Amino acid sequence: MTRRTIFASMIWLLAVGWVVSVPSTLSRAQESVSFTRDIQPILQNSCWKCHGEAMQLSKLDLRTLEGALKGGEKGASIVPGKAEDSRLYRRVAGLERPAMPMDGKLTGDQISTIKAWIDQGAHWDVGAEAKAPSVDPAALAALENMEISPEARNYWAFKLPLQAPVPNASADLRNPIDRFLEKTRREKDLKAAPRADRLTLVRRAYMDLIGLPPTPSETEEFLSDNSPEAWGHLIDKLLASPHYGERWGRHWLDVARYADSDGFEQDFDRPNAWLYRDYVVRSFNQDKPYNIFIKEQVAGDELETKSADTMIATGFLRAGPRVHFREKDTPERRFDYLDDVMATIGRGILGLTVQCARCHNHKFDPIPQKDYYSLQAAIFGYVETTYPLVPKEEADAYNKKVAEIDAQIKPLRERIAEIEAPYREKLKAEALRKYPENVQRAVEKPENERTPGEKLLATQVIEGGLNVNGPTVERALTPEHAAERKALNDRIAALQKEKPQPIPVADIVTDGDYRFTPLGPGDDVIGCVKCRIQEAEGTFLHTGPARYQVPPSYFLVRGDPASKGSLMKPGFITVATYGNPATEIPPADGRTSGRRRALAEWLASRENPLAPRVIVNRVWHHHFGRGIVPTLDNFGKMGDPPTHPELLDWLTVEFMNRGWSIKQLHKLMITSEAYQMASAYTDAEDLEKDPQNQYLWRYRPQRLDAEIVRDGILRASGAINLAVGGTPVRPPLPETLIKSTIYNVWKNQDDGPEVWRRSLYVYRKRGMMFPMFEVFDMPDSNFSAGRRSVSTVPTQALTLINNDFVLKQAQLFADRVKKEAGDDPVKQIGLAYRIALTRPPDETELALATDLLGSHALVDLTHVLLNLSEFLYMR
Amino acid sequence: MKYFWSRRDFLFQSGGGISGLALAYLLHKDGLLAAESDACNNAPLGGNPYARKPPHFKPRAKAVISLFMTGGPSHVDTFDPKPALAKYAGEPLTGKGDINVRQGWPGPLMPSPFQFKKYGQSGLEFAEIFPNLGRHADEMAILRSIYARSNDHVQSTYELQSGQIRAGYPSMGAWITYGLGSETSGLPAFVAIPDPRGGPIAGVSNWTAGFMPAAYQGTAFRSSGDPILDLKPPEGLTPEQQRARLDLLAKLNERDLEKYPGDSELAARISSYELAFRMQGCAPRAVDLSNESEVTRKLYGMDEKITEPFGRQCLLARRLVEHGVRFVQVFSGGLGDQNTDTWDAHVDVKTNHSLHAAETDRPIAGLLTDLKARGLLDSTLVVWHGEFGRMPISQRGVGRDHNPGAMAVWMAGAGIKGGLAIGASDEFGLKAEQQVMSVHDLHATILHLLGLQHTKLTYRFNGRDMRLTDVYGELIPQIAS
Repeated sequence: MTRRTIFASMIWLLAVGWVVSVPSTLSRAQESVSFTRDIQPILQNSCWKCHGEAMQLSKLDLRTLEGALKGGEKGASIVPGKAEDSRLYRRVAGLERPAMPMDGKLTGDQISTIKAWIDQGAHWDVGAEAKAPSVDPAALAALENMEISPEARNYWAFKLPLQAPVPNASADLRNPIDRFLEKTRREKDLKAAPRADRLTLVRRAYMDLIGLPPTPSETEEFLSDNSPEAWGHLIDKLLASPHYGERWGRHWLDVARYADSDGFEQDFDRPNAWLYRDYVVRSFNQDKPYNIFIKEQVAGDELETKSADTMIATGFLRAGPRVHFREKDTPERRFDYLDDVMATIGRGILGLTVQCARCHNHKFDPIPQKDYYSLQAAIFGYVETTYPLVPKEEADAYNKKVAEIDAQIKPLRERIAEIEAPYREKLKAEALRKYPENVQRAVEKPENERTPGEKLLATQVIEGGLNVNGPTVERALTPEHAAERKALNDRIAALQKEKPQPIPVADIVTDGDYRFTPLGPGDDVIGCVKCRIQEAEGTFLHTGPARYQVPPSYFLVRGDPASKGSLMKPGFITVATYGNPATEIPPADGRTSGRRRALAEWLASRENPLAPRVIVNRVWHHHFGRGIVPTLDNFGKMGDPPTHPELLDWLTVEFMNRGWSIKQLHKLMITSEAYQMASAYTDAEDLEKDPQNQYLWRYRPQRLDAEIVRDGILRASGAINLAVGGTPVRPPLPETLIKSTIYNVWKNQDDGPEVWRRSLYVYRKRGMMFPMFEVFDMPDSNFSAGRRSVSTVPTQALTLINNDFVLKQAQLFADRVKKEAGDDPVKQIGLAYRIALTRPPDETELALATDLLGSHALVDLTHVLLNLSEFLYMR
Repeated sequence: MKYFWSRRDFLFQSGGGISGLALAYLLHKDGLLAAESDACNNAPLGGNPYARKPPHFKPRAKAVISLFMTGGPSHVDTFDPKPALAKYAGEPLTGKGDINVRQGWPGPLMPSPFQFKKYGQSGLEFAEIFPNLGRHADEMAILRSIYARSNDHVQSTYELQSGQIRAGYPSMGAWITYGLGSETSGLPAFVAIPDPRGGPIAGVSNWTAGFMPAAYQGTAFRSSGDPILDLKPPEGLTPEQQRARLDLLAKLNERDLEKYPGDSELAARISSYELAFRMQGCAPRAVDLSNESEVTRKLYGMDEKITEPFGRQCLLARRLVEHGVRFVQVFSGGLGDQNTDTWDAHVDVKTNHSLHAAETDRPIAGLLTDLKARGLLDSTLVVWHGEFGRMPISQRGVGRDHNPGAMAVWMAGAGIKGGLAIGASDEFGLKAEQQVMSVHDLHATILHLLGLQHTKLTYRFNGRDMRLTDVYGELIPQIAS
């Protein structure tokens, strides 16, 4: 058997799950193996680094035979006499994954030595472990430091963008975008499509910029403007619309993994989350420079320009999912939350999969694991709190008033408890009778006579088992006591009513000490408050005169919070860092570290090669249906390379030169000829040379996003409520679906104008996505998602043909057409087409529709229009 | 009918057996079509996300029925007998490291309130509360050393479904649909049947496609009434009216496609209406249990109030598998009162588990009997599990707290060797001890039975080829070989 066939057959055997033995061309089997001479050096060099004194990854300690026999999380690592059954051998021989050691491979000789040693009984020289040296500091250093090669730095995305000269592709192309595109098209021998007709263009601009189709009068307005500036005027008008921020804010909310609830079991409501959503919409409407937009979201609490708005902006950092149950007893979860923040900054702002370096150096990109923990140190002060949105005096007055009332309530509650106490005792004694005999016995015994087990039993039953609920107590009370208790409760209720309305607060992020986070929902242990792990006293939010100190954070070997390496200093992604940017910019008040501020400055700097390119590419993607870098969130090696690198860089520099203005970027792109090309254009040769239309020889049609499908339907029916901003709405859902939740249950609102708001305002519940949005590919809100997938599945069709909401809107659409067009079917059809599709029907369509209306109702037509492919696309 | 589904040529270009859905529809409408129809069983054609894809190697199972006992059934009171609990009853649990309780105060070791019996020729031992299942002991392989990684219901539920305790990862059914496509175009490939009481815990994220396209997510089927959301036109819309609408729609979309020749997305959109229409006909028939004989219904316990709901869910699962659905997940445990309506026996394990075992024992036994009688058991894998096990010590006197350290899972069908206990937890059942298996191992093994190599089933996300088993997963040899 040649090497190659041995290898191939092994792969095959592994593939079918057979247990195989390594072909024993490697023969050590007959030789006697010495532990000290042969085995210990292997362990020392290749195993003890991670399974020795410094750390015991996977809880495996290979320093002693006992440790090896006991094994780690996966069970015993050595079965003496049976190498084939021993994990230690199987892993080093590559028979089991992950193969060991992690950072290399043993030689064939070493592998067969280990096999022979185990087969011979795995004799372990006593005392050998004593001679084992402690972890080699050089080995730990090797783990923590990865050299970044000059070639790695030379990768296009890590180089600062430079503006190449605009090609002289064609004299009549004025927009530089077109010249870059035309240059590539010529290289690829492609011919650009002609301009689309004006009806197509006006619909395209409306859909793209505000996410609503133009009304017939808006269409007319554009068509009647015959000036050469008509297109530019239209774009200006749409960019000035308050609905522009609703559309483009939504794209950013995907990046920010925004939702209105926590996720996980409780899926608690986040009653203030919408403030961040509105901040995003507002920022787009104001054309807030993107660099400032980023700084506010990453460090809004640390800026000199700090305001309520910038505090709300930090909601970006905490928009991800949270378990919110026993957080204090599950401290390792915090590392997942920090990972969520870093993954979102990585994917969302930098276009890098930073989170891949949590457990090891990045496999594909030059991101050392150390960069991950430097970045973690930059945000490690991270704590979540609230920020009052009223002046301090008002907040103080509120707190004072509430405290006063609570002080009045306290004695009333104490009196109630006093009344109830004897009844509760009696009821508890009755409840005890229902327990098995051994439990009753344990509870009734005097404490000092209980066995250790009975002590546990008695405690858990007395403290947690014999709960008597309020109604049971109430039934047991004498009439006098019942009356007194009721009067007290009435008084408490009256006092509660005197409390002022809670002051509005924003959910924000700032620096603090996470170890002293106040108890949150779910932190108390049900039935046993004392069972919660107690922590030392300390200050959560820094107030004192001294400067705030960030709690220490460490390099974590293999991402394990229990395997600490070096103490970390804040830092950024090395390969994308130019010069020597500050890593801490402490604010004057000393309340925070200024580390996030420094991070924000680095992210939003001209010296950052990634952040500006990434946003320019996102904007391009939404306008043209595909990014210049198609993988919007990944500019690394595993992403797709740019189709037009020079254009991307030219636009990026231009964007920064124009003050990081997104609106100017829109205008630059939309006024290009490329944006105005027809999509319904086919050139057989172009199609053959570039079937994916990578080089933009025609405009790329885009399926509308889930929200825009619903908004379009509401717009067509005329029922849309175009109010901007505010708390989310919950359109009615079927009872069967609502039954799938127990916490934070979806409370149906009536189907009507109150909920016929734009889809941006529909409550986004992590545990239950709004069904219509789900079938139309709204992304999971647990991850930052720049590009939505587009699927075409039967459930979309079922929704559009059978859903109550759609049918109701189809009827309203028909009613509206009848009212506006009168009884003439031709007029009705014409208007319905212009509302739904912006254009009038052609002759055949008119004939078909007239034919339908001959025997059917107008709603049968309007419903069909809402189902048309043309209705569901921006073309 | 002239225009109706005139793209048939496109739709069925690969010689599809269904020469006319419209015809099937008409026949069905006229009551001429028998209960079973090819129209509902045909695999979808290429060019859509459900197109059938070849497995990596010859599969042993074509379908999986996963029975998910929501709330966390106690292994030491069901499928993992622990005589040491009786021997040391009432004594504190010591020497096993920190006992991390989730709720309340830790109690002493508590024996199971149930007797254990040896069943079948193999003498496989499990609790007497599953007497009917006892008849299938020789077909069951019980895994007694699987552990989960969180004592939080939802995190462990995520783990059992997706391999990750974090949110947003695709569930196994989504992976399988992505990997193998669908065998049926009349029904979704991946169906979840929740307990009619509501739930399950973690809700619809149990069958999420996570970061994959929504096309791969599971579809919840109600076991009575209309099975799928928006499956049927609302009252007031006559079939004739709907047909008129769909006729015109098809015609207009056809014309539209001519402006974009060769646009596969638009062609798929037209065919999606075809498929939707087909589902509208097929799904209600698949869930219509009225064609099932009295004997069959009885087999599933549908003659008794306590077993009727879960019996209905199990019978529906069998029908769906017969109709070509590849992954069916049946949930026991709703969300009313978590302590009584799910297996989450914090308060009183005897009352809780007696009830849920009584609800499920006959239906599950009936399912196994029925699958076998129909020759489906050899090609269908049945898996029973919860999200974690429970503590060997008591809680509030007679309940048990969560215990991710060990749980019991059993499998049957797909030609696996039964009458077998695989792995073991420690003497009290606190932690998995011998042949310790992770949920990744379980997933790797299930994929293996379906002909998928877990290391090769990858989906690019986040710049990485993601796997259901992450970077882990080893086959369970007793099942896989």
